Amino acid sequence: MSGPTGAGPVIEVRDLTKRFGAFTAVDRVGFEVHAGEILGYLGANGAGKSTTIRMLCGLLAPTAGTALVAGVDVSRHPQKVKRLIGYMSQRFSLYLDLSAAENLDFFGGAQGLAGRRLRARSQAVLEQVGLLAHRDTRTGDLPGGWRQRLALACAILHEPHLLFLDEPTAGVDPVSRRSFWQLVRGLVRAGTTVLVTTHYMDEAEYCDRVGLMVDGRLAALDTPAALKARLVPGRLFDVHGPAAGSRGRLAAIAGIQHVEPFGAGFHVRMADPSVGAGDLAGRLDAAGFPGAVIDDLEPSLEEVFLEVVEGWPAPANAPEVPA
Amino acid sequence: MSRGFLIRVGALARKEIIHIIRDVRVIYMALGLPVVMLILFGYAVSFDLDRLPFALVDQDRTPASRRLVEALTGSDSFTVAVRLDDPRAVEPYFRSNRLKVGLVIPPGFGRRLQRGEVAEAQLLLDGADGTTTSIALGYAAGVGQAETRRLLAKTGLLGDLGLRDRVRLRFNPGMKSARFIVPGLIAAILAIMAVLLTALTVAREWERGSMEQLFATPVRRVEVVVGKLLPYVAIGMVQVLLVVAMGSLVFAVPVTGSLGLLFGAALLFLLGMLGQGVFISVVTRNQQVATQVGLLSSMLPTLLLSGFLTPVENMPLLLRAIAAILPARYFIQVLRGVMLKGNGLRELWPDLLALLAFALAMVAISTARFKRRLD
Ligand SMILES: Nc1ncnc2c1ncn2[C@@H]1O[C@H](COP(=O)(O)OP(=O)(O)O)[C@@H](O)[C@H]1O
Ligand SMILES: [Mg+2]
Repeated sequence: MSGPTGAGPVIEVRDLTKRFGAFTAVDRVGFEVHAGEILGYLGANGAGKSTTIRMLCGLLAPTAGTALVAGVDVSRHPQKVKRLIGYMSQRFSLYLDLSAAENLDFFGGAQGLAGRRLRARSQAVLEQVGLLAHRDTRTGDLPGGWRQRLALACAILHEPHLLFLDEPTAGVDPVSRRSFWQLVRGLVRAGTTVLVTTHYMDEAEYCDRVGLMVDGRLAALDTPAALKARLVPGRLFDVHGPAAGSRGRLAAIAGIQHVEPFGAGFHVRMADPSVGAGDLAGRLDAAGFPGAVIDDLEPSLEEVFLEVVEGWPAPANAPEVPA
Repeated sequence: MSRGFLIRVGALARKEIIHIIRDVRVIYMALGLPVVMLILFGYAVSFDLDRLPFALVDQDRTPASRRLVEALTGSDSFTVAVRLDDPRAVEPYFRSNRLKVGLVIPPGFGRRLQRGEVAEAQLLLDGADGTTTSIALGYAAGVGQAETRRLLAKTGLLGDLGLRDRVRLRFNPGMKSARFIVPGLIAAILAIMAVLLTALTVAREWERGSMEQLFATPVRRVEVVVGKLLPYVAIGMVQVLLVVAMGSLVFAVPVTGSLGLLFGAALLFLLGMLGQGVFISVVTRNQQVATQVGLLSSMLPTLLLSGFLTPVENMPLLLRAIAAILPARYFIQVLRGVMLKGNGLRELWPDLLALLAFALAMVAISTARFKRRLD
């Protein structure tokens, strides 16, 4: 099994486009992923995340553009790519009537593993994902979070250097999500490169870099910190308490750029980054909301995402002629 | 065949076997259906006349008319259910479905015979039940001819030409339906089961999304097709064994030819049917649609166009053309040849070749239509 060659990016995507008939699901997307990196792909349902991943795995033929995965052109050699990658598809697709070990045997065999090597790897990944004690349990009897870990085990059985995970934690409880992410981070520490999609904003914080996908376009791609600094300018405050007021009346106060309901209160953004919590309290007082509790707030990726979506032009789903 | 090919096909086949073992419904269906169908068809679909009751209107009442009735009932094919005086009294029996056959011997029948004139007896048949009446007609006509020949010979008008020996039924002397039906049933059962089972299992992988996971591995299309088919080939061979054994034990249908040839032909036929099943599910990608299309495309032609129940030679041109590319048709010919006639390769090679061609074509087409990609 050959690993990524040279020091260049492990994944190199340029102008990657996928059309289904007249509908453009992925529109001229370009990015690079470097060895040992976790790249998170964030976006609403239907944004085109799965379509992008499927093209990179050689499962869908791109309509236009190029994608080099571990140096292999996915349009020209989709079969070659498949030997180099691990893929966990969005829909849970283990066989529920097979035991954990039988699923591993099957997917190992599909990857061409057999005999002693398969047994050793099977044992190793079961241990790695903490399912050794359940190797003979019917997969259908495993709780959702455990099945997800088994699916991951199936995807890394052949020791790929590159892992594509499509919404691996969808529909799983928060505790299982965290333990799943610990597994993924462990793989990355051992040298695996990971491209993972999610629609849980909080999970993006686990990623080295985050791409935001909106309507088939890659709207932004950077480290979480850089995205926040660039896309959520000004300052963010949490306003709550007995006199927090109504959204409309808050938004009317001078200097307040944006108000978002949050819990019992609001997230308020001031356009001027030099405005402090004290200034805001004064303005609220003046507007007839005395005694509101105001806390400084670090913008979350949620805010970043909303910012991107709102600043986005109306969806352009008709096939466009590239400029 | 590379090592990788064998590993991947082995993994697919092993997984499929586990599915089958864990899902008892498949086993019930695979072993239960042949038994049920064989018993159903073996007993219910019968072309034998066994004491078919008829209404007798003997207006002649001479020794000659009585001899005609005896000739008809002597073989146990017919039996007199009711004696009537008026031919018109027969119709109510037809209308109420109590009888399907009536025999009218008009006055003067015996006298005419004695004078050496043409004597006529009338057979009344309920045309609404075409099958029964045509069989009855055939029997009755045979009896009538035999009687005529006997009478002619007696009057010296016709020498003993040995006419009776001219018609001889080979291979199925008793004209037993079971001998005729069991070979066709083997084909029907194999066709239905094979198409249905594979259509279901491949479509299930599409529906459940595991096909996508599978295509993200280096598994090739032909490996999926072969790996999927192998376990069902094994099941199909067990079914053949079951039906042949039951046919022999319960319905006394012999296998006069080579068992090896029979199983070889069954293997070719199975491959074609399994390939058809894979093709259907590759195209439909949906269990429900695949089941319906699979059932229709396997059952109807096999029952109606393969020569199983009705001879292909009597069909209109269009249907004969369809039958010509129907593997069941060739398989039934092989089975009848091997089981009843003791035919060997020398007679059967064209049929075997047709089966092989269909099998290869189906596996090739389904592999070609099998898109490894999802779009
Ligand atoms: N095979 C296909 N044929 C037609 N449209 C498709 C197909 N696959 C995906 N789409 C459409 O492309 C868009 C992007 O889908 P997808 O990549 O699955 O989004 P995401 O994974 O971000 O939720 C959706 O509107 C979806 O309906
Ligand atoms: Mg998706």
